[in-house]
Amino acid sequence: MPSLLEMQRDFGAALLDPACAQARMRVYRANAFGNWSAALAGAYPIVRAIVGPAFFELLARDYSQAAPSVSGDLHEYGAQLAAFLEGYPAATDLPYLPDVARMEWLAHRAHYAADAQPFEFSRPTEVRLAPSAALLESGWPLAGIWAAHREGGDPSTVDLDAGPDRVLVHRSGWRVETCSLRPGDFRFLAALQERRALGPALEAAAAEDPAFVARVALAAWVQAGVITQ
Amino acid sequence: MSRLGAGIGLRARHYPDFSGARPAAGWLEVHSENYFAAGGRERAVLEALRRDYPVSLHGVGLGLGSAEGYSRENEHKLRALARRIDPLFVSEHLCWSATAGRHFNDLLPLPFTEEALLLVASRVDRLQDLLQRRVLVENISAYVEAGPGEMSEGEFLAALVRRTGCGLLLDVNNLYVNQVNLGRDALAQMRALDPASVEEIHLAGYFAGEHCLIDTHGARVAELVWRLYEAALDRFGPVPTLVEWDTDVPPLDVLLDEAAQAQARMDARHALAA
Repeated sequence: MPSLLEMQRDFGAALLDPACAQARMRVYRANAFGNWSAALAGAYPIVRAIVGPAFFELLARDYSQAAPSVSGDLHEYGAQLAAFLEGYPAATDLPYLPDVARMEWLAHRAHYAADAQPFEFSRPTEVRLAPSAALLESGWPLAGIWAAHREGGDPSTVDLDAGPDRVLVHRSGWRVETCSLRPGDFRFLAALQERRALGPALEAAAAEDPAFVARVALAAWVQAGVITQ
Repeated sequence: MSRLGAGIGLRARHYPDFSGARPAAGWLEVHSENYFAAGGRERAVLEALRRDYPVSLHGVGLGLGSAEGYSRENEHKLRALARRIDPLFVSEHLCWSATAGRHFNDLLPLPFTEEALLLVASRVDRLQDLLQRRVLVENISAYVEAGPGEMSEGEFLAALVRRTGCGLLLDVNNLYVNQVNLGRDALAQMRALDPASVEEIHLAGYFAGEHCLIDTHGARVAELVWRLYEAALDRFGPVPTLVEWDTDVPPLDVLLDEAAQAQARMDARHALAA
């Protein structure tokens, strides 16, 4: 009799083998691939809208082989999609897709991130980014691509030649929000993300962007819940 | 015996039904992994509902019988969640889920052998130590036999209870599915169990596939499963019963109606027994 370990390895191999003739093993195969595909679609609705559901199914199948699920918590599944897409031959005509996937994973994580502590005005200089907030720089107009492909968007409005973008992803209440940042705001928030103190962060932003006004920026990002303590 | 009666599985689709209202369910059960997050909406919803309902944490991802690829990280996430929620029950499945380097995210069947029993018992012991509470273990539905067994499913569950002091979550639909798919006598499995060990019962609907019954949790409870449930109530008493629905989740009223049907059977049996 095979050991439990041998039995499970053989069972797992049969489950993954598309040529396995056992009809009931195909039920397990359909369950597993269905769960992985649904989890990936849940985390990447914009990528799915860009490539369409049929292509996404193939992508989900190929991804599940290349980057197996390693957790019993499916919310963790899909973390490597952007890196996978960099080398995915079928998507070479969509060179912006990896950055869109990067942005979607940040949004997925923002949804589940710890809640931000309320801002204490008695300690105004001890600031950091909210747990849900993340920044991304791209050579592609990410915010425009995102807006055009989200529910209710119009894909025909995308201008891929609109140039590079710096985006912020964060959660406001229970909603994940995304927006493009001006260079000064991006520099400021990036400095806070690097755990630099408030003064140096504001100086770095002002040095990079003459239009950056420290007082205005600080008030706006505290108000938006992007800066916390 | 608890008089919690019938409860329902809480699913995201029904959050709006619980916003500002408290539908008449005896208690709620959630999939633990859906609430592992450090913050966000799911966590806030669950903490709010916990103030008004008993809540049970039902894990689908540990894979207590995985010979390799078992995650201790998720055990600790479960412990943190249980500390916040103070759950009615904490349950997991009698199954395996992973090999080295890959989690299948499904409940896969174990062979009913002494080797498997030793492994699962050690994992249950550890989990109960970590959580500082009794854990319930649930029988799964299966489409194939995992391998030659040395005991029946019921005997395996009964032995696990004796070795670890865990309780059982008896899924009556899974017993029925396995009777049809694998020829295991559902009533015989129930007779093998110590009546005091069954602390919770699950009910759900299956899908009749081309080659076997599939445990989709996507339909109303089948008539023959209701009969088996009545036999379970006769043997195990008015055990808290949960109606699960996971695919094509219908409006909340459908779940509440299924729970009411379970409650009516429980009340009828209990009155007869009194």
